[in-house]
Amino acid sequence: MVSERRAPSAWHVIRAIARREIGIALRRRLVRLLFLGSLVPPLVFGIILVVRLMAEKAVGVNLGWDPVLRFLQVQVAPVLLLSLGLGTPLVARDRAEDVLYLYAVRPVAPWHYAIGKMLAVAAPAFGLLMVPGFLIAVMRQGVLPDQVHFLDSILLVAKIGLAALFLAVAYAGASVGPSAAVKRARWALLLALALFTIPDAINELIFGNHAFAIGPAKASEAMLSMLFQGAATGRGVAALAVLLAYGVLGCLVTLVRVREEMRP
Amino acid sequence: MSQAWIDIRDLRLERGGRLVLQGVNASLAGRAVGLVGANGAGKSTLIGALLGVLKPSSGSIRVLDLEIPLRAMDLRARAGVMAEQAGVFPGGSGVDAVVFAGMLSGLSRRESLRRSHRALDALDMGEERYRPAHGYSTGMKQRTKLAMSLVHDPEILILDEPTVGLDPIGRTQLLRLIRDLRDQGRRILLSTHVLQDAETVCDEMLLLQGGVVAFSGAVGGLTGAEDGRMLATGSGFDAAFASKLGELGFGEISGSGERIVFRSRADGDLMPFWRLAAESGVEVRFLGRDHPTLEEAVIAVMEGGQGGK
Repeated sequence: MVSERRAPSAWHVIRAIARREIGIALRRRLVRLLFLGSLVPPLVFGIILVVRLMAEKAVGVNLGWDPVLRFLQVQVAPVLLLSLGLGTPLVARDRAEDVLYLYAVRPVAPWHYAIGKMLAVAAPAFGLLMVPGFLIAVMRQGVLPDQVHFLDSILLVAKIGLAALFLAVAYAGASVGPSAAVKRARWALLLALALFTIPDAINELIFGNHAFAIGPAKASEAMLSMLFQGAATGRGVAALAVLLAYGVLGCLVTLVRVREEMRP
Repeated sequence: MSQAWIDIRDLRLERGGRLVLQGVNASLAGRAVGLVGANGAGKSTLIGALLGVLKPSSGSIRVLDLEIPLRAMDLRARAGVMAEQAGVFPGGSGVDAVVFAGMLSGLSRRESLRRSHRALDALDMGEERYRPAHGYSTGMKQRTKLAMSLVHDPEILILDEPTVGLDPIGRTQLLRLIRDLRDQGRRILLSTHVLQDAETVCDEMLLLQGGVVAFSGAVGGLTGAEDGRMLATGSGFDAAFASKLGELGFGEISGSGERIVFRSRADGDLMPFWRLAAESGVEVRFLGRDHPTLEEAVIAVMEGGQGGK
């Protein structure tokens, strides 16, 4: 025998899949525009923060405006659009082109494939939520050291990280799952948009404004309110569970579909 | 014969409620093994089982001494597979697809890029490698698929209908490439229904029929080329010539007039035949092995003309 080569690690395979998908997606004009669009809120909020700090120094008054929650509330919109643009073609395209077997004959397990595709959406989404949020927290700490304690900033960063993680997982599940359910990216996009709008609309119709969030959009609002405004913990925890469920379900739908079709 | 690199024992595999493989037994040691059979005979299912993609109902499989499906992932890292029905990884150029295939098999991106260009160079893929793969001709797609299966320098190549859709020139070129790969020492399993392709490349044959092995062994064993039967055509092959031929140690002599069939001597020496023909004034226009073509032999086996080995 020439060698005793062994299968690569799961992480190597997952990373290769995610990396390729991000690289290919960034060649599409729409995804590039969505990516650039998601850089606008951090830029605007950064400018606002600097101006506010200069104004506070000039007038000697604390204007009392914390930009972190507002930033995240705004930032989720472009990140959601980017996730839909990135995620909805991922599995649908492979199914339409009938290439799942190409993965099966290589050291790729169905779960490698599903996690790799999820990571292709979740990693950019997490980065676009986390990095600007982190920078804002650092700016806040660096520019207002007398008003903001270091531990407060660490806690803030942890909260931003938690929010970014749950949002990234949910958005990945809610865009990759529909992509695995159909063979056309446009149908996957419609399905994903329906997931983001219809569950909460029906829920509100039945239970009114007091209903618990069951869609990813409302759940993200409830989670951010809990983390950054101290709103009702029960709703916030339920929202975290809903976001996680979308991520897990999206991954499971992909896994089931791929297991069926990764064969000759 | 060297050690078997594929060893299958009583393999049964059910798909969609139908027993597709019904007790397959084979021990394959050839450098290039042809997997042949009619549509629906179970060729693709057998390949799926060899790679651990399809789980057998019973029986055992060992490939490169790895137990399958237990160590299927390790086998897939050591095998290059050119699948029939699947195309090229979509969304990028040919070189992108080959680089990705290498990364999935365990190479780093840098190493995969280096090897991809080397593989594509060897397959005469010039600047086309940078074009989007969805616009490729069938021939270019097949070359890219072959490069995808070769990029990680596999020990074995499993090629499922590699010449489908190719024009005669493309087919000849691809078969030449596969022969070169075989001569470089790679083990090849070539699944095809084009028997001429199998005859060109393979030294061993596994013939499947209705989910069972109808024949397994050397190509010569299937066609009878190794049994030493010779055919001579010309004129003047009379009974006296046949008798003298028998005295010289040739056996099983039949035919007369313009055609005579006989079995070679144990030493394989044909000079006594030529001397006798010259002495007897017999005109010999053709002398060669008397055996059916591979196609005739396979059809004979499939029609029950020859028992399985």
